[in-house]
Amino acid sequence: MIRIPRACAALLFSACLSGQTTAVSDPSYFAKNLYPALEKAQCRMCHNDNGVASATRLQFPPEDASAQEITSFGLRLNSLVDPAKPDESLLFQKPTNRIQHTGGERIRAGSAEEKTLRAWVGYLASAKLNPELTAAPKRTTPVVLRRLTHSQYNHTLQDLIGDRTHLADQFPTEDFVHGFTNQAEEQSVSPLLAEGYNRAAQKAARTAFIGGDTRGLIPCKPTGTADAECRAQFVREFGARAFRRPLNDSEIRLYDKLFASEAARNRNFIAGAQVVVEAMLQSPHFLFHLEGGSDGRSEAYRVASRLSYFLWDTMPDQALFDAAKRGDLLTPEGIERQSRRLLADERTRAAFDEFLAQWLRFDRLRSAVRDRRLFPEFSDELVSNMFEEVRQLFEHLVWEDGDFLNFFKSDYAYLSTDLARLYGLNPPASEFSRVKFPRDSERGGITGSGLFLTLTSKPSETSPTERGLFVREHFLCQVVPPPPPGVNTNLPMNTDDQPLTNRQRLKIHLSSPTCAACHNLIDPVGFGLERFDAIGRYRPKQIVTIFPTFDELKGDKTLKPRVHELDVDISASVRGIPNSDFASPKQLGQILASAPNCQRCIVKQLFRYAMGRSETTADQPVIDAAVEEFRNSRFRFPNLIIFIVKSNAFRGGPEE
Amino acid sequence: MKTNLPRRTFLKGVGLGGATIHVGLPALAAMFNASGTAYAATTDGAKREVEKRFVFWFNGNGIPEKYWIPRETGPDFEFTPCLAPLERYRADIHVITGLDSPAARLPGPGNSHYPSMSALVSGQVYTGRGAGGPSFDQVLANKIGGESRFRSLQIGVCQESFGEAIQRNLSWADRDRPLPPEMIPHRLFDRLFGGREQGWIDRQRSILDSVREETASLESRLGAEDKQRVDQYLTSVREIERSIASLPPEYKQIVEQPPEGGDLKDWPRIARLQSDLLAHALASHQTRVASYMLSKCQGLSRFPWLGHTAQRHHEYTHGQVETPQGMRILRDICRWHVEEFAYLVAKLKSMPEGEGTLLDNTCLLFLHEHAEANAHKNNNLAVIVAGHAGGIKTGLNTRTTGTLGDLYVTVADEVMKAGIGQFPTAEKKLSEIV
Repeated sequence: MIRIPRACAALLFSACLSGQTTAVSDPSYFAKNLYPALEKAQCRMCHNDNGVASATRLQFPPEDASAQEITSFGLRLNSLVDPAKPDESLLFQKPTNRIQHTGGERIRAGSAEEKTLRAWVGYLASAKLNPELTAAPKRTTPVVLRRLTHSQYNHTLQDLIGDRTHLADQFPTEDFVHGFTNQAEEQSVSPLLAEGYNRAAQKAARTAFIGGDTRGLIPCKPTGTADAECRAQFVREFGARAFRRPLNDSEIRLYDKLFASEAARNRNFIAGAQVVVEAMLQSPHFLFHLEGGSDGRSEAYRVASRLSYFLWDTMPDQALFDAAKRGDLLTPEGIERQSRRLLADERTRAAFDEFLAQWLRFDRLRSAVRDRRLFPEFSDELVSNMFEEVRQLFEHLVWEDGDFLNFFKSDYAYLSTDLARLYGLNPPASEFSRVKFPRDSERGGITGSGLFLTLTSKPSETSPTERGLFVREHFLCQVVPPPPPGVNTNLPMNTDDQPLTNRQRLKIHLSSPTCAACHNLIDPVGFGLERFDAIGRYRPKQIVTIFPTFDELKGDKTLKPRVHELDVDISASVRGIPNSDFASPKQLGQILASAPNCQRCIVKQLFRYAMGRSETTADQPVIDAAVEEFRNSRFRFPNLIIFIVKSNAFRGGPEE
Repeated sequence: MKTNLPRRTFLKGVGLGGATIHVGLPALAAMFNASGTAYAATTDGAKREVEKRFVFWFNGNGIPEKYWIPRETGPDFEFTPCLAPLERYRADIHVITGLDSPAARLPGPGNSHYPSMSALVSGQVYTGRGAGGPSFDQVLANKIGGESRFRSLQIGVCQESFGEAIQRNLSWADRDRPLPPEMIPHRLFDRLFGGREQGWIDRQRSILDSVREETASLESRLGAEDKQRVDQYLTSVREIERSIASLPPEYKQIVEQPPEGGDLKDWPRIARLQSDLLAHALASHQTRVASYMLSKCQGLSRFPWLGHTAQRHHEYTHGQVETPQGMRILRDICRWHVEEFAYLVAKLKSMPEGEGTLLDNTCLLFLHEHAEANAHKNNNLAVIVAGHAGGIKTGLNTRTTGTLGDLYVTVADEVMKAGIGQFPTAEKKLSEIV
């Protein structure tokens, strides 16, 4: 009854086979014998494009790889084989930990799996490979059906019928997948959401026509309840905006009928218009991004919606609809022209603020709490200031055409008086104006911001683990494997007799090789930030406060908390990035800014947000090219945006 | 269509293509006493089987076992500090400990709360996004919910969590398909008891007909995966269509409408309002299967009404919980959960139905994602079964060796008579409880 995960199935499989087969006669040996063993050893967990070993030469094909892809992957491993001395090949030495392997010993010496591995290495060392088999097969870019996000829904209702009541705020919360809440994978429509659409449509349609057609939605003056011409005009024109493309004949008939019968029943023309609005707001053509069709004209409308929803987070304006109608959006040049027009509009700021808020998980800070006894100055207002600081940095860099890498390595920040006080600096000239950090400051870039340092802390103490994880996941796009099931993840308690620094407490992670393998990648990144406390304040030493218990207070009401000041060791490094020793947020920011992995990650994050899905193998060429463009433009964010919207992946529709 | 529910009338509506939609509604006469203030005992002389209802009841994190699990097994067990609020209902409950949740320990992604939650509700491995399969209440609803106004109901109270789908949802339609709970009392009231005029209903019907027509015609033009998503919407639209039929306005007399304002973070207040609405929803036969999520998986609520505000729920289950003081805080928190469960039990017991009470025809199952909270323990889980539907044995504390799946199949097939036959991790039925 229990679903056996792949890894277990692979275990049974390879255990049966590998004992018997050691001589390799053809390439299919890899898929049959070694590949399952490597899967069982969980190599893929780190060795994939988003894994912590993404910078190495070994990258597994995706989990759903075809037999052909697996075979070619197996043969391409020959780049890790030394034909003269097979046993000294990286492919043999690394997984067996004969030479130092961050992931430790994944294949045990003397095991059946080791025999299988050795056999394959031997085969690769001597075989003459058929280039047809080694070529990586081409994959097609997936196209996914997305629905309006809640914020797109709100903005669209505002532009479509002038409703500013943010009806979607009542819908069930959207979930984060691949770091964002706009990912198609998580856009299933639950009954509660469908009911939300139903209720919102009722409210919106009712409000739109309160006191008549005050918002001017009806483009003509009806001569009476049954004015067929005006009715048809309304259905056609409103429908084209609601569905973001012209309606076809059967659609026009459907809504015309609905309009006519409701208007007749109520003896009121507007009642007909209202029911059409209410119905269209529940149509899949409104709720889902289905603007595209099979003819070229619809492709232009699909592109129009993609552009406006990505760049403005709302429906196209009239000029964009007109451009679609003219066919202007069928060429990269036309797209660039319209994109530049959209980017020049204020609405773009709000749309990309949303990208920023999701990328950096503002939501987690919004719901964060701090122990009031330790951080009395922590308040909702301070949190708002932290958001604003980072928003300002982002907006200045993005819209004033700055070098976006300053997001990581800036030696300045946009501060409020409260934040300046928290950071121990002189107040800014005006609220949220630019403040340069003193030369000897350890602060700098996003990793020195109150937002980042607070977001990644626990209620009463910092968490080097959380900080390291955040850097890996959000700035390097690496997915760190979770702790194995059943592991006790509790850290030793701090006591009066033996107060410990976070670094000392986290030593427990190194006590078992299983924990150490991953925590060696994570915790040290956080150690370098330990001079900044759980609300981002500078602290030369770690303060450990031990409060008297209820029982102790019963005995003596005057007991005070015991405070210990501990020296902290802040030497740190980011494993996997060469020469990455650091000892402050400022230095970490500089390391990240110049790391190709981090630069590529910025591109990937924007790609995911733009596409509503995670990148696949098929997207690698686009991402490579976008990274190149980003670099060549000296990290101008608008250039990256334009490059992405012009790409085939962004424009492309379903193959119909 | 099976119609073994004699105390109902059927409201008929004509859907697309002339298909008739039946919506079960309780016959008023049988539901009210003379003053119209309560659900009355049936006047029908012949003994009929009243439909059984099920409530999947959850609160997040785990328990302090030593303050929660009774030491003695059998009928004469002593109530522990956490369970004390249920002492008055000794004869209505059955404490079951020792249940295993093996799917929580299979290799897979996520911190330990996520796999535990997925295994708890679905018996399957956490996918990295959501539960590995349909949750137990949904398996049950698919068998017995089809004739109700709502196939199933999802109700929630406390909202604080880290925000992942697996933490915020108890009910799952299928793998990675959460069914979010309704958290706002006045909205829940509106769904259940909101007034509907016939004109409004007719209008909604024609709108939803057009939505269905468009959605259905669209489906044929989409690829398999997209089709699936649009199909989910179509299914949901059908469910709305079924639920737009309204209850007669007389219901408003007995069910008090919760205020729209008020402190929407006052969890004890919200918990009671939601429990009341749930009880009335069951009493008025609007659904047979409901889930009630008091707090979230790995929940992060604070407890000002208990005097514990320095940290949040999840933090209280770790760290200082190893000290006597910390353990007592967790005890207070878990006792509050039990209090809220006891409130619902009492409420159901106060509502007459047939020759007894609503509790006689209901089975409630109270679970957490972990046993000992600090250790993230997912074997030896402790649950409470309450109510008397299907002749559940009560008044006992039983230590068993089965799995959660065993418990679910037993409840579904022996208590609810739903005939689900199997559930992931189930191997045998637990004869101890029926």
